Parts: sequence; C-alpha cells; structure tokens
Amino acid sequence: MADNHYGGDSESEDDNFNPAPADLSDEENEAENSSPRVSRKNDHRSSSPVAEEEHDEDEDEDERPSNRTTKRPRIAADDEGGEDEEEEEDEDDEGGGHGDDDEEDEEDEEDEDDEDDVQHRHRRKRRKNAGPNFFDIEAEVDDEDEAEDDERDGEEIEDFIDNAHPDDIADSGGMNDDRRHRDLDRRRELEASLDAEKQAEILRERYGKRAPARGYGDMAVVPKRLLLPSVDDPGIWAVRCKEGKEREVVFSIIRRVEERLGTKNELPITAAFERAGPNSVMKGYVYIEARRQNDILLSLDGILNVYPRTKMDLVPIKDMPDLLRVIKTPSLTPGAWVRMKRPAKHAGDLAQVLDVTENGLEARVRFIPRLDYGVRDDGIGPDGKRKRPGLPGPRPPQRLFSEAEARKKNPRNLQGNPQTNSWTFMGDEFENGFQVRDIKIQLLDVKDVNPTLEEVTRFAGGSEDGTENLDLKALAASLKDSGANVAYVPGDVIEVYEGEQRGVVGKAVDVRGDIVTLRVTEGNLAGQTIEVPNKGLRKMFKLGDHVKVIGGSRFRDEVGMVVKISQDRVTLLTDQTNTEVTVFSKDLRAASDIGGQGSLGQYSLLDLVQLDATTVGCIVKVDRESLGVLDQNGEVRQVMPSQITNKLPKRRTAVAADRSGSEIRLDDVVREYGGQQRQGKILHIHRSFVFLHTNTTNENAGVFVTRAGNVNTIAAKGGRINSQGGPDLSAMNPAMKRNPAENNRMAPPKSFGPDRAINQTVTIRRGGYKGLLGIVKDTTDTHARVELHTKSKIITVPKADLAFKDKVTGKPIDIYSRGGRGGFGGSGRGGYSSGSGRGDWSGGRTPVASATGGRTPAWGAASSSSRTPAWSSNASGARTPAWQDGSRTANPYDGNRTAYGGATAYGGSGGRTPAWNSGSKTPAHDGFGHGSKTPAYGGSGSGDTWGSKTPAYGGGLSAPTPAASGGDWGYTPGPSGHAFDAPTPGAGLSAPTPGALNAPTPGAYTAPTPGPISAPTPGAWQGGWGGDTAPTPAVGAPTPAATGSGYYGAPTPAPYPAETPAGGGYEDDD
Amino acid sequence: MSENYVAPNQQRYLRACMVCSIVMTQARFREEGCPNCEEFLHLQGSPEQIENCTSAVFEGLIALADPSKSWIAKYNRLDGYVRGTYANKVLGQLPDEIRIMLEEEYRIQYIPRDGSATEAD
Repeated sequence: MADNHYGGDSESEDDNFNPAPADLSDEENEAENSSPRVSRKNDHRSSSPVAEEEHDEDEDEDERPSNRTTKRPRIAADDEGGEDEEEEEDEDDEGGGHGDDDEEDEEDEEDEDDEDDVQHRHRRKRRKNAGPNFFDIEAEVDDEDEAEDDERDGEEIEDFIDNAHPDDIADSGGMNDDRRHRDLDRRRELEASLDAEKQAEILRERYGKRAPARGYGDMAVVPKRLLLPSVDDPGIWAVRCKEGKEREVVFSIIRRVEERLGTKNELPITAAFERAGPNSVMKGYVYIEARRQNDILLSLDGILNVYPRTKMDLVPIKDMPDLLRVIKTPSLTPGAWVRMKRPAKHAGDLAQVLDVTENGLEARVRFIPRLDYGVRDDGIGPDGKRKRPGLPGPRPPQRLFSEAEARKKNPRNLQGNPQTNSWTFMGDEFENGFQVRDIKIQLLDVKDVNPTLEEVTRFAGGSEDGTENLDLKALAASLKDSGANVAYVPGDVIEVYEGEQRGVVGKAVDVRGDIVTLRVTEGNLAGQTIEVPNKGLRKMFKLGDHVKVIGGSRFRDEVGMVVKISQDRVTLLTDQTNTEVTVFSKDLRAASDIGGQGSLGQYSLLDLVQLDATTVGCIVKVDRESLGVLDQNGEVRQVMPSQITNKLPKRRTAVAADRSGSEIRLDDVVREYGGQQRQGKILHIHRSFVFLHTNTTNENAGVFVTRAGNVNTIAAKGGRINSQGGPDLSAMNPAMKRNPAENNRMAPPKSFGPDRAINQTVTIRRGGYKGLLGIVKDTTDTHARVELHTKSKIITVPKADLAFKDKVTGKPIDIYSRGGRGGFGGSGRGGYSSGSGRGDWSGGRTPVASATGGRTPAWGAASSSSRTPAWSSNASGARTPAWQDGSRTANPYDGNRTAYGGATAYGGSGGRTPAWNSGSKTPAHDGFGHGSKTPAYGGSGSGDTWGSKTPAYGGGLSAPTPAASGGDWGYTPGPSGHAFDAPTPGAGLSAPTPGALNAPTPGAYTAPTPGPISAPTPGAWQGGWGGDTAPTPAVGAPTPAATGSGYYGAPTPAPYPAETPAGGGYEDDD
Repeated sequence: MSENYVAPNQQRYLRACMVCSIVMTQARFREEGCPNCEEFLHLQGSPEQIENCTSAVFEGLIALADPSKSWIAKYNRLDGYVRGTYANKVLGQLPDEIRIMLEEEYRIQYIPRDGSATEAD
C-alpha cells in the first residue's frame, strides 16, 4: 500500500496549499466514478483557476456517460478496478480528514461558505457510511461492503449533484466573487511563502508518484501476456479475399459497420483486420472478429472482393496473438545498403544510407546517378509533346557525376563547390560523384538487398587513396538479414548465447526446422541432449581452428585459421592471401580442405592469362566473382572472368635469357638486377617478361613481374651452368674495352640439360664425410647434394670434393669425359661450354677441359699447355684457330658445321659454337680491317653462324682464329692485329689439337685450314656480325670449304683473298 | 456515409497516428485532429505536427467496430479508443520532445507502435 500512502500524502499536501473546495468534491466524484479521465482532468485542474474548474465540472457531469466511450478511459484491466476504487476511497477518506482540518482553518478565516457546507455535508455523510476513518479496518472492507458503499455513493452522487448544482450556479453567478479573490490571494501568498525547492517537491509528489498509477499510463503497465485471448473473447476467422484488395475490404467493412450503426441490423462483428504487406504471408485473407461464424456471413454478405462462403477458418485461440504480432523492422543505420523503388529512373539501383531522420521515415542516401546531362532531358518528347515523367524508356547508365561534363552540357544548371566536390545540378545534389537525396523509406527496399560485390565496389572504389573502404559491418548486416537462417548441420559445435540455456555448448546431433538438438559437451549438462531453437545459437570456434567461410560475406570460400574471436565475430587469417578477415561465426564452417578454392571457373591462382592482345597477366587473387590479375606492367587489376581472353597454358619449355645471357627457364631462381633486388622463382615466361614468385612477401600473392633481361640467375633448376664464376672474359677483351657497349653482349654458351653429375655414384674426398659413398641427388654450380649410402641423409658437398665412381664397378670415372660430348660434337656443343669458364673440371666437358688433356687447344687449358695454341696463353697472340671448335667441326656428320680452313673449322652445330657472341669482339676491330673479325658472331640458335667465322682470320693471316668459342675468341683478334707473327694458323695447324681430339675432327679440319690464309670470307659476314645476330656471314662465308662438308663449301677462301674483309661491313660496324 | 471509409484513390494519403495508431487521411487529421490523442498532440490544423506525430508508413489495417468488446482492440491496446480504422504497426518514432512532453506533462507512457515494445515482453 505504498502507493496508497503516497496518494494520501500528496492529497493532503494538495489540500494544504490548494484547498479549493471544488477539488474536494472532485476527489469524491472521482472515487465514486473511478473515472480516470476525470482524475486526469482533476490533475490539471489543481493548478488551473478555480472558475474554470467549476465550469469543467459541470461539463464533466454532463459528459461523463459518453466519456466512457469517446474519450480515453482508463485502460487498466477491469479486475484491478475494484482494488483501485478501494484504494482511492482510502485516500479520499484520509485526504478528507486533512481537508477537514484545513477547511476548519479556513473557516476561521471565512465565516460562511455555502459550498463548503455542501462539501461538509456530503463528506460527513460519507464518513458515516464509510465508518471510522482512522481505523485500519477501513482498508479491509469487504467487497460486499464496498459494493454497498458504491451503491450508496452512487445515490449520494445524485444527491450531490442535485445539491451542488445550485451552488455552482451560485458560484458562477458571482455571488462569491469576493471570496474567490481572497482565495486566490491567499493561495498566491502561500505559494510565495514556500521556497522553490519545497514547491518542486510538492509538485513532484503530486504528479510524479501518483500519475503513473492512473489514467493513460496504465496502458503500459498491463503486459501483453495478460491480454492473451480467453474463451470469452470473440473468435477470429480468416476469410479469403482477393489478393491486393485486403485493405479495401477492411475499409468496406468499416463503412458498413458505420452505416448500419444504430439500425436494427447493426453488424455483429467487433473488428476486422488485414496484414497484407508486400512481403507478408497473410495475403489474400482478411480476419474478422465476431462471436459467431454466422455473424460474419451476414456481415460480409455483398461486400466486394471477399469470399466468406468459399473459405473461412477459425483461428485457434493460441494462434491469435501471433496474428497480431508486430515485429520491429530493423531500423536503417547509416552505411546500410538499400535498393530504391523510385524514382523510376533508379528503380532497383543500390544506394547507401548516409543518414536517417529522427522519426525514421526518411533517409538520406547516396547512389550512382544516371545522368545524361540534359541531353534528352528537356522534358519535351521527340514529337514535341511533353514527356510524361516516369516513363520507363531507356535510362542512362550509372556513372559518377562529372563536373566537367555537366559544365560542358548544361552549365547554367550547375552550382557547387569544387573544394568539397559537392554540386547541385538540375536540382539534384551530388557529392563526390554520387547523387545524394532524401528519400522516404517506403520508397526503399530495405530487405533482401543482396548487394553484389560489383555494385558495392563501385561505391567503395571512390576513395582517394585508392584503397577500398568497404564498410564490412554494414555490408554484413545487409547480407545478414537477407539470407535464410543460419544453417546448422550435425557436427557443428554450437553455443547457446541467448535464453535460459545460455552458455551451453554442445555438438549438434540433429537439426529439424528451427530446432537444433544438441549433445552438450561442457558444463553441468555435459552428456545430455537438449533441444533448442536455433534463434539463440551461434557456432563456436576456437582459436586455431581451420575454418571456411561459407556464406554471407564477400569472403565466401576463403579458408583460414581462426586468430581472434569476439562475440559472434571471428577473425581469421586466410590461407591464400595471409590477410585477416572478420566474419560472423554463422558464416563459418570447420574446413577440411586447405587453401580453399583458389580458382574461379577455369582460372586458378597463379595462372597466366591473356587479357588482351598485348597484355598478359598472372592471377594473384581469386575472389568470389572476380580475379586479381598482375599484368605484365606490374599493375594489378580486378577483372571478371569474362574479361579474360584466354588462359595461357604453362610452357615448360619456355626459355629466356637473363641479364648475362644465361638461359633461364621455369622454376629457376633469379634475382632482379637493380631495383628492389627481389628474388623469386620463375612462374611464367612470356616473351621478355618473367613472372616470379617469392615467399618473402605476400603482396600479390608473392608474385611480381620483371623483364627477363633484368634478372640474374641465382640457381638454375637442375644445376645448369650459369655465367658466374670463371674468368670475366669480357674484361679481357680488348675489343670490348675499346668499345664498351655492353648491350649486345650475349651470354656465353653453356652446357644444357641436367648436370651430368646427377645420379652419379660418388665418394667424398674431403671433409667430415670423407670417404663416404653416395649418390648425387641434385647439384648447383658448385655444390652437389649427395645422398649417402651409409646413413640415409642428404648432405651438400662442394663438387670439387667429389670423386665419381662407376656405379657398378666402383672405378673412378670422369663423368664429363664420357658420352662423347665434346669430342663428337654429336651435339655440337661441347666446344664452347667452356666459355663460361667455370672451374676446370667442369669446363672439362668440353673437349677442352684440362682433364681431358688431349683435346683441343682450348683455353681451359691454362693448365694444360699442351694444347694448341689456344689463347689461353694470352701472351701469345697465338690463339688462333679455334681450337676447340676445331675439334668438333670436324664432324663430318653434321651437315652444317662446316669446317673451315684455318684450323678452325667449327662445328657450328647449334650455331653457337664458335663464334657467337663474339661478334663484337673478335677480329673485327683489329685495326686492319681485315676481315678479321670473323666468324663469329654467333647467332646462337642459328646454324649459319659458323659459316662466318671462318673467314675471320682470313684477314689476318695470322688472324686468329675465328672462332673460339664464345667469349674466348673474342680476344683473339686483338692480338691478331699485330700479330702477324702470330703463329696461329700455323700453329693451329700444326697444332695438335686436332689430333687431340679424339674426335673425328682431325681429319676434317686439317683439311680446311689452309684456306685461311686467304681469308676471304670475312668480308661477307662481317657485315653480318656487325649486327651481331646476323647470320649473314654464313653465306658469304665462303669458307674454306674445306671440309667439304660444308655446304657452302664452295667459294671459299681462295678466291677472294683479302678483298673481302675490306668489306663495308667493317665500316658499318664502326 | 461512413466517416471512416477511405476511397481507394485517397488511400495514399493515409497516415497513422504514432500514439494511438488510428489511420485517417492527412486531410482529416488536419481538420479534426486525432480523435484519441488530440488533447495532447494537437494535430488539428497543424500540418507540421501531423508530419511529426503521424506516419505514412504503417502495416496492417484494423477496422474496429466495437472497441470495448473486441479482443483485437484489447490486445493492441486500442480498447477505449473510438471506433475506426487502426494500423497494426506504425513505423517511425515520435519526436523526442513530444515523447518527453507526453511522459512528463501528461504522465502517459508512450508505447511505440513500431513493434519495438513487444520485444520487451
């Protein structure tokens, strides 16, 4: 009865400072009528002038009956009514008591007061009826008594009214004017005498405490669950009606209700409603509330579009609240995505909410405008008539607003501020290219927006630093409410986060509709199986779990490891891109596969694709709907699969030359020269571009692109030889020194194919593993990885520390000597390999090799003086004749290699041999201008080459050789210049070389040699080699013919003696 | 003729009071005010107040023939209101100052009609 107490207090307070008698009478009226409206009015009244009150009261009296229906009566449940009354009566009585005292006080001041008299009379009567005032029993009055009281009260009211009226009239008649004035004065005084705080207190007590217990406020107090329907309530029937006409039907019903109101066929129904929203499931029905089904038939008879006779279902009582359930529409939040329904021009376009008005009915959105800048928008159709706005017609494509274009096409309608990039054009606002507009939310589709990545990126791409500023949260929210409910599958680990079972963690064992059956795995309930609705559930993951994004966000199909969990947001580190992404746990599933998709259609990560005729790119990112492609210019672009022309198959055989000319192939490890010096493994070679992959960065999935000519080989797969190590031949080349244009240098020849050391049985000659036997598994230039026989272990040993053994016999062997490489020239290569000059032994493969002693003159030889003239001995201009080549040349077999006189003879098989790079160096320059330059130039690749060399020395008598393999012979020339004395040729001849070669050569080459003297050729090819690549010479190269093998054989030397050389070629060259 | 009937062509001007959810045309709100809430909303003749306190976005339409007997009315807390058409759900929120005024001056607890109240139950 705290309330009661308060009430009492306040009443007394009231009376204390506002003793207007009218109040008292009102109190009683209120108590007796228990009409909240009156009580509310009463509240007002206490602060309003008395005169009005009186008048009001009159009104009240008159209106009261109708008030019950037309004005808002108290909504409190009826059952509370009795109690209330009782309470109020209590209050009144108490208040009355106080009031009495007050009145007595007043009476001291005022002698007679008719009105008061009336009050008192009434009061006293009441008091008598109510029994002893200050006794507790009063509160416990029985209902019966109460009822009696009420009845009597009722009587009294009439009584009172009758009595009061004359008084009131008298009052208003001004009889008591004087008293009133005094009254008012007194009140003012009183008010003034109270300090403000006290007043506030009083006010608060008066209004603050008791009001909620009365009047309108009561509505909220009755919870809905107390309002559930009972059997006493009318039933609700669902009646079929024409879809789309539901609202009209309801209006028709209300019309009929009102029309027949008060007639004898008043409609017996109490209410009707429809809830056919755009996405409602209640379309096609109206629901009628009535006592009997027949009432409905009667009532709806003849109303259009509703079919009570075809189908009518009684709604079960327990379902009735659901019919009326109202679910809050999620309010729009800034950043959310919506679709516009109107204006028609933008129907269906995606828009982003910038702001929502306070009442939630309008939103400021931005979207991509569809502008034609007034071109067609003059409002006049082609036929001269005004166009009807909103015609579908073709609409301009979505494009960001362009100030320039607007200025150009329709400058008058453009206003704005370039600083903020906000414009007004033709009455529309534009900010940063987007159109901005306030739109009523009923013109927006808020649900099922499903923005596609494409659309969203158009909004996101706009930021100035080019970064994507997608608001994932908003996007996720848009996507979240669009998708169906979370799908749980048996096996998911699920946490209950809402409701009574909160905190329970379990594994789903069964999912049926909205009910998930969990086997609890943790806590008190462990082991039990419970059923929970899927509403309050979320999937649970632990740090380190490997998960896959299964839906919802744009990260769909990413796979990664959970690194952070916060509520239902899970951050994972993706396998593919090593980036952190945050998604909702409902969008995750434990992943069994690694790496995830990594492919989109036929395209997968790291594929090489053709973007257009001149552009290729490597796929570095695979998204749900697009691909990130790093093109050959190093730019990453986002493309749709449809924008890709085709996929370029990986060419295993693709070859390019690195900076030093070494051959590089797929999977070789190379490093950029200059720049960032990035190092990577070759993924693709496309023309002069190489796409490399590195593990040192995850930018672009570790892929970068560079030019082939801009990398140095670090490690070639299979241990191919590269150009590092060995003497820097070019440094020794005087010709180059003089003309240091290095651009055209070519890499020295190398051997091809896998290192022959691989799979050889070896013993280790030095170091901790000395003496152990093993098999070479892999090699680099200098080292080999050897699998030991003794323990199963692979160690890395310098190649120099290995001794090769025959697999079967165990005898020491020299693997490089076998197989007839050099010698036979079967491959033709042998010769030059040495060019690169790696360690002796490797050089060894060539004929030259020191090891092999016997062969050619070769340089390799530093050590072996024995061979030929070989240049090796720098001192002697003597290098001459092509040593080694000579050797191969010989090969008769090879059609193409000719041999030329001059000892030389190359086998030019692949053309590389001799000469090749040389172009520049060789002879050429020797001042003489003889054709000295020879052969060379190596067109690598082309067979012709060789032709050329020959001649070379033609010029020089002494002229050195032509040929030497690549780099080497480069020097030759130099010396030759002067060196007539040079032994060369002669040397050559005499040179053992030939002999040396076990190879067939000998015969061959001897032959030709002679030619040299005349040195004819040169001229011809000279020109050629100027070009370096130019094969030319070949032809010209009359060559020696010598060998006879030569197809060019013919012309040869003799004929054109010196002249040739002279050839313009020279000049060209210089 | 029925005063609460709204012809289909007028239905697009319908608005619902955010306090009592009664549905009427904007014109009628302006002429008559809200029959249930007029004493504190003062909609009559005040388009601005109508704009603030009523909403054109509402869902469901209830024809209330007998507010005192209807359970539907009771459940939607419409009992005690006048006969007429009401909305099931009214989107939009009463401006803060009006809500505060209702609660502090009239001691009326405002129950939002947009569904946000039901979740509290």
